[in-house]
Amino acid sequence: MSDKIFGSRLRRNIFIAVIIFVGVTFTFQLIKMQILEHTSYTLQSDNNSIKKKPLQAPRGIFFDRNLDVLVSNKPTYNLHITPELYDTNFNSTIEQIIDIEKGTINKIFDKNKIYSKYLPRIIKRDLNFSNVVWFEEHSEKLKGVEIIVEMQRDYSYGIKGSHIFGYLREINSIQLEKEKNNYDLGDFIGISGIERSYEKMLRGSKGYEFILVDSRRKTIGRYLEGSQDINPTKGKDLILTIDKNAQQVAETEFEGKTGSLVAIEPSTGEILAYVSAPEYDLEAFAAYTSRELINKLSSDPQKPLFDRAANSIYPPGSTYKMLGAIIGLEEKIIDEHSTVYCRGGFQFGNRFFKCHGNHGSISVIPAIEKSCNTFFYKLILDIGLDRWARYLRMFGFGNKTSFDLSAEAKGIVPDTEYYDRAFGKNKWTKGTLVSLGIGQGEFSVTTLQLAQYAALLANSGRTKTPHVLQGYIEGIKNVDFNIDYKDKIVNISQKTFDIVREGMFKVVNGYGTARHIKLPNINIAGKTGTSQNPHGEDHALFIGFAPYENPKIAVAVIVENVGFGGTHAAPIAQKVIKAYLENLEGNNFPISSVN
Amino acid sequence: MESTNKILDKFDIIVFITITLLTAIGLAAVYSATYTHPTAYGNFNKQLFSAFIAYILFFIAYLIPYKTYRFISVPVYAFTLLGLVAVIFIGKTVYGSKSWVSFGPIGFQPSEFAKIGLILFLAYFLTRKKRNPNNVSDLFLISVITLIPVGLILLQPDMGTAIVYVIISLIMVFWSGVDLFWFFLVISPVIVVFASLFGLATFFISMALVIGLLIYFRRNIFVNASIIVLNISAAFLMDYGINFLKPHQQKRIESFINPSADPLGAGYNIMQTKVAIGSGGIMGKGFLHGNQTQLRFIPEQWTDFIFCVIGEEFGFVGSIITISLFIILFIKLVSIATHTKNIFGSTVVIGILALMFTHFAINIGMNIGVAPVIGLPLPFLSYGGSSLIVNMTLIGIALNFYKNRREQI
Repeated sequence: MSDKIFGSRLRRNIFIAVIIFVGVTFTFQLIKMQILEHTSYTLQSDNNSIKKKPLQAPRGIFFDRNLDVLVSNKPTYNLHITPELYDTNFNSTIEQIIDIEKGTINKIFDKNKIYSKYLPRIIKRDLNFSNVVWFEEHSEKLKGVEIIVEMQRDYSYGIKGSHIFGYLREINSIQLEKEKNNYDLGDFIGISGIERSYEKMLRGSKGYEFILVDSRRKTIGRYLEGSQDINPTKGKDLILTIDKNAQQVAETEFEGKTGSLVAIEPSTGEILAYVSAPEYDLEAFAAYTSRELINKLSSDPQKPLFDRAANSIYPPGSTYKMLGAIIGLEEKIIDEHSTVYCRGGFQFGNRFFKCHGNHGSISVIPAIEKSCNTFFYKLILDIGLDRWARYLRMFGFGNKTSFDLSAEAKGIVPDTEYYDRAFGKNKWTKGTLVSLGIGQGEFSVTTLQLAQYAALLANSGRTKTPHVLQGYIEGIKNVDFNIDYKDKIVNISQKTFDIVREGMFKVVNGYGTARHIKLPNINIAGKTGTSQNPHGEDHALFIGFAPYENPKIAVAVIVENVGFGGTHAAPIAQKVIKAYLENLEGNNFPISSVN
Repeated sequence: MESTNKILDKFDIIVFITITLLTAIGLAAVYSATYTHPTAYGNFNKQLFSAFIAYILFFIAYLIPYKTYRFISVPVYAFTLLGLVAVIFIGKTVYGSKSWVSFGPIGFQPSEFAKIGLILFLAYFLTRKKRNPNNVSDLFLISVITLIPVGLILLQPDMGTAIVYVIISLIMVFWSGVDLFWFFLVISPVIVVFASLFGLATFFISMALVIGLLIYFRRNIFVNASIIVLNISAAFLMDYGINFLKPHQQKRIESFINPSADPLGAGYNIMQTKVAIGSGGIMGKGFLHGNQTQLRFIPEQWTDFIFCVIGEEFGFVGSIITISLFIILFIKLVSIATHTKNIFGSTVVIGILALMFTHFAINIGMNIGVAPVIGLPLPFLSYGGSSLIVNMTLIGIALNFYKNRREQI
């Protein structure tokens, strides 16, 4: 063989060709990756190594009108597990340690399958201290398991307020889909009450920390020394119109009872106390709202989740009577001195409608004081149904008050159209009207509407939409009280108001049905009611306001199935009035001077 | 001027500068990949020390009389085989393969050093007086010379290095004048099988290439048909053959073809590597500023995936400079081999080229996703003392033959 074979031109050229070919291939691939597809790879690289860790914004807290805390936040230890990093062989041990049902961890993982496996799932909130210690001790082995300190609601300020505050719950997937920018998996969202109505103000805005993580998602440090981090902004603290004292007394009074109470500052529409009984324990919702708990509360025959103050409707009974008097006076059907003769009832056609007693010849003021049915049976027949309904609507009945807490019922204000629909045209008689004259029959109201009505009586026809939000604190220095609420004005003459108010004054301070709630230092005016309940014992009602001379509080109380309003509802109102007024700053109530 | 030319005539300064630059780039990359790492910290210092030793061996290899290599080729081969046997008995297991031997604090990989033995001995065998690479019995002996170390390396097991040995042997045989047609016969099924991994299109392209070459060789129709059948059946047998691989090897092949199929498993490295290089852009993220590298998304990056550090931190510019340095080196080696009158030396230099080029092509190819992941270090750049020392020594040998290129045996 000749030496020419070694290094022959052909073989050398093949080498050069292969080397150039590989070099060119690499160059093209690098142009593709580093120049043409650079943006997409950069995005992947950033996603890879920068973890966006949400920082919870503390939820705004609730103050009462005197800036006493009603609801705040407290730290809690929550157990988070990141599925991708976690070894499910630890499931049963962890479930045993934190005392949750076997299989819960897998259930939580399954439920949130659609989310990234790198997203931590909350397994249990509010771990006790010994659990926290256990997890700390075993943290080396438990990859993907974290104990994170988060805030939860603190309800330890002595009032329940379940229907005012409402509860929070983990956001569900449908809401989460809609509000991706504001919430992350496992975040809480207001479901009822203020928490729901003012969710946007309360939640604040979340912060984010950008953290560099390595391939095992282990934290290496902060991205760009934290310069890109976004600090969370605490939610706005809400100043509620609630008076803690009055609320506390109202809640205590309703223990063991079913019913509701609404107290309103008449000139402003501010709700001072708001109770729907039975209440539920918000504390049970603070850490985690289990489906079991919701189911249990929903199926409770006492319906604790149901807000009776805004949603239950009752016939107002005799608390309606001032309204009858107002219509009569305004429409000049009666005057202050017109009398009706009561001999224990009212004969209409072949039916006799009973009164509480033989009141004899009676005018409007004593008719209110003594709650004479006969007077009002006769009056409504003179008023007529549609005129009557028009006034009722003017006072807010048959319509939502548009208050800011939650859904509410409209109640029923029957008119011709209503009865025509219910019974058929010409199928009903004037006799149907008679019981409406004493607040019975189809006429139904909510406690909230009654309270608004009491406020209108107290403040001579002027109030505002009832509400619980008085103002809010933004940051630490900006307090804003300039929230606009709609005026609620009824055009009734001052004289008319004076007459019915005098009647109400005498209910408590004369020989009326609530004289036992008379206070030595505060003049209360009011009206009791007992509304017939076809399903059982009568409901006890009371509406009233105080001080009579310059009303600062108007109250409506309904206690279900207990009997007389004077006996069961009026004393509750009295205690709430007392609790509120005696603590009111700069109060100088005239010591009872009117008889 | 006279004296300068005299030096340049004896010493190929361009090759020397090239390998020095590559070593420097490698040291920078190893530094970047390890300086925040809890366990690999300190690798840079070890590499720096290895570089020092490597330069000493480079000069020794360059300075000793060139005829020595032919004399010592057989003993070196035998000695390095002993090393490969020893590693099986006293080797340290690292990442599942027994490729390390330690003497006190110094550990080295006999399979790296055995490359020197193989290259020298094959060159010796191929350049014997009565050699004939087309002789079947000679080819058989060449196969034996190659397959003994290959078998020993497969026992470690180190598939990547074994493949390199086979390729070195094939290229040296090719250079020594084996009939191109026979060479084509052996190589073409390998290329067709590789192409068929990527689907029908690449398979047909490779087959077209085979048919083109068949026309060039002008053999009879019977031979042509047999070769076509051989190639096609090789591609089909490949599918069948994959079943015989271990599951992790199957996965590697699969993830090479489609890395996103198993992004956290076998495809993880490929994905992360491509992300690192792609995100480097034109200028790179800057030395020590590659987040993929610094946050350790690529395991053991300082070894087989060192090119990612360059791609990420020095970008397209850095990558192209690195690749260009290698291309310069390779073309220089081809040139040295071509101009060396000493056919033993010429063959050795081609063996050295074969070794380095194979490492380069497979390593960078797998880093940028155009070759399957076969764990091979990148010469001069990857962390690893044995590899650096061996490569540097081999360049020393090549430059020795350059110095004596006008001498014949």
